Amino acid sequence: MSQVSLYDDRPVKQMVYPAVVFLIVGMFIGIFISYNGFLKPDAFAGEYIHFGRVRPVHVSVVTLLWLLSANMGLLYFIVPRLCGVPLWSVKLATATNVIWWPTLILGAFSLPLGTNFGWEYAELPKTLMGGLLPIKILLAIAWVLFAINLFMTIVNRRHEQMYVSLWYVMGTLVWTTFTFIVGNFAVEWVPQGISRVNTSFFYVHNLVGLIFTPMGLAIAYYFIPKISGTPIHSHRLSMVGFWSIAFVYAWIGAHHMLHGPQSQWLQTTSIIFSMWLIVPVWTVVTNLLGTIKARWEMYSKSVPLRFLTMGVVFYLIVCLQGSLQALRNVNELISKTDWIIGHAHMSLLGTFTYFAMGGVYYVIPKIVQKPLWSEKMADWHFNFTLLGSVVMFVALWVGGFQQGLMWANWATGSSYAQFHENVSRIPFLATVSAMWWWWFARLIGGVFIFTGSFLFVLNVMNTIILPVENPERMQA
Amino acid sequence: MKKWFSKLEWSAFLTLLGVVALFSTAIAVTLIAPGYIDPSWQRPSSTYQVQMYEVSDPNVYFSTANPGRWGLQYVYHLKDGFTLMAFRESPLVRLLADPELEPYVTRLNDEELKLTTRVLLLRRPSESEEIRNLQNQLQMAWKQEHPEQEFPPHFDILELFDPEKKEAFALGETDGIVEHWIDNHFTIIGQKPTYTTSKGVIYVNNPKEYTVSESNYLGSKYWLYNENGEPIENLHELKSGKLGFLSRQELIQKGEDIYRVEGCWYCHTDQTRTLVQDTVLNGSSDFPAPPSSASEYIFQRVTFPGTRRIGPDLSRVGVKRPHRDWHISHFWSPKTESLGSIMPSFKHFFDNDPAGTLPHPYTIPNYRFEAIFHYLMTKGTRITPPTQAWWQGKDPIHTIDIIEGR
Repeated sequence: MSQVSLYDDRPVKQMVYPAVVFLIVGMFIGIFISYNGFLKPDAFAGEYIHFGRVRPVHVSVVTLLWLLSANMGLLYFIVPRLCGVPLWSVKLATATNVIWWPTLILGAFSLPLGTNFGWEYAELPKTLMGGLLPIKILLAIAWVLFAINLFMTIVNRRHEQMYVSLWYVMGTLVWTTFTFIVGNFAVEWVPQGISRVNTSFFYVHNLVGLIFTPMGLAIAYYFIPKISGTPIHSHRLSMVGFWSIAFVYAWIGAHHMLHGPQSQWLQTTSIIFSMWLIVPVWTVVTNLLGTIKARWEMYSKSVPLRFLTMGVVFYLIVCLQGSLQALRNVNELISKTDWIIGHAHMSLLGTFTYFAMGGVYYVIPKIVQKPLWSEKMADWHFNFTLLGSVVMFVALWVGGFQQGLMWANWATGSSYAQFHENVSRIPFLATVSAMWWWWFARLIGGVFIFTGSFLFVLNVMNTIILPVENPERMQA
Repeated sequence: MKKWFSKLEWSAFLTLLGVVALFSTAIAVTLIAPGYIDPSWQRPSSTYQVQMYEVSDPNVYFSTANPGRWGLQYVYHLKDGFTLMAFRESPLVRLLADPELEPYVTRLNDEELKLTTRVLLLRRPSESEEIRNLQNQLQMAWKQEHPEQEFPPHFDILELFDPEKKEAFALGETDGIVEHWIDNHFTIIGQKPTYTTSKGVIYVNNPKEYTVSESNYLGSKYWLYNENGEPIENLHELKSGKLGFLSRQELIQKGEDIYRVEGCWYCHTDQTRTLVQDTVLNGSSDFPAPPSSASEYIFQRVTFPGTRRIGPDLSRVGVKRPHRDWHISHFWSPKTESLGSIMPSFKHFFDNDPAGTLPHPYTIPNYRFEAIFHYLMTKGTRITPPTQAWWQGKDPIHTIDIIEGR
């Protein structure tokens, strides 16, 4: 019980509680656009609800309002415990969160009204209300306050040795600040045209690679040994993994523009570093799976460990895909198809959302001093989510691959007349219509995931709100 | 501070230092260096591209107030010492000019095109015996040359006059997408504008004075083009009031904003990649589209290369779909215009029709339609001058040879 007095978990609650609610809000919007944008286009028609206006809301809600916020909440939990000291300033954390939530909510839900910034993953408006509310500057300030708070906690730590999660946390605090400024501000400081595109894709890639990856790995590196009750497989491997990430990620943004209007040498550079990516990924995966393997029976006993383990598996797949997709001949087939959508969902949903869900399942009972409301419901959450995820990913990959093959078919033959004949026979829109059943499968997968996540939120909220019926259970 | 550093042990300090150092190197090489190493990232694709964006776009105006009802009107803003104008006869156009203005007229058999930046205008001469005789003479001559044709055409007879103003407004004569361009056999009489290059110039062909008069339609008053109306006094008058003209530059920028906030870029890519399938998809029936180059994007504030192709690529749409009417029907109802399309309809690009008597299903396209249309029409049409355009088979990088494996 000494932990209660040492750690004040209000900042964790301030971030995690709203985040889990926004998880299902974001997923519901995802289901809406997969129906209204693809299966029955314009079933609900209108200026403010068509696909182009609602898609950025889905992306912003699930990436920022859910994933980034939940991860920040989990870091408020992890960092003080790894340092053996309370958070540097709970007041500062509360102030940070008070800036964070309204800014982000207003920013994300203003998008259908026509405030889209125009650069991918940086859609939030620069300002709202005629410039009175500088959304992006406020977010940057909130992040810097968050970083100061965690850095000061680390500086004041009691345990000399820094666990690998802390390395990742420090990395993410520095990288995110840089990356956010580059993608949201510097993109307008560089010359117009491809310089801006290149800067934007640097941000797009590093949002995943240098913000969500180190945060997610910090979480996985903390909770996997905690839950399975074994020390980390190898400290040396974790160092290799960390430093190679630092070395590799910032170089590979340009692989989003392969075959595009961008210098060949830059494309080649990004391909080489994309191959290098295999090093950090395999070390991390070996390390984490090696840790789980030591207590493999825990996989069936613990739902959070199941999420964390499947997150690691998806991490391996998504990063292997990432490297292979950067090869020119693979990229030619799958780039600009639904494969990419499947890939993006596997990284942010399959990997980092799974990590965060595992973390939330572990953290909630600890911070409310009550057992999880229903283990069984958590089981169903996992089953629904995993099933839905696999259906969605596979549908998007196969559909995307098929569309890529149909496009490549236009290039069969040896004369322009033949190429042109190919396009006349299978026009572009035929390759869109061919996707219908894959999009249907994607929606089914999405409904499963949403159902699972709904159980998750219900479970978490009941744990928080409902009194413990049988106090004996806490002891058991 | 001392406390900070003494507690921050050496390894942690090295970590931070290492992270910052590696990150900075990556930024220097992948973000900062390319713009300097590869000049095409900031160099225009052609002098035509520069003149379109910097000379033509700010000085061509489009009516955005109810253009759907009476057809689009567009107007060149002619400026003394800046706008190049040509007064050129063609088989069906004859020009009358005083001896003082005769040097500015390019007659049918002249070898060189005469251009000037002196503000002169064409107008229809008032009816007279002389004009009727000229029309008859021309028609007789035509009949002798074309004995197989029963009816001679009506010749356009216009007179050149000096409005004695520093600026004037003239009716547009092109399609509003590709402007008149000449790269050899031309002379400039008088002052040469600063943008003139030996590679060619954009000019306004046969500017006809833009005059308007007030009309009534169902009780509301509208200004309309009328040959016998009053000339426009100044830019302020053109831009304000019922006609509400916007320059093509303003429309293109608004169009880019619309493309951005409507999220067009989530479904449409804006790049012809260096892949056979892309050059074929965007190509015409005879020629493949050249792959996009970095220099095509330098006049855009936001560039949308795109990551997903749910709708067709738009990097050559100005060549593939140049017709305004097609875009009007398509934005109104994409599903019926393109079979199999899943694009949402954009009915907010249209205003209500107060009378409800229009002979077509869509209502009146508003300025948002004009904006997105002109933005789209920049795509693929401005890489090279129209005389050396890829759609005429004059692709500078010989895409067809590459993709056919020669």
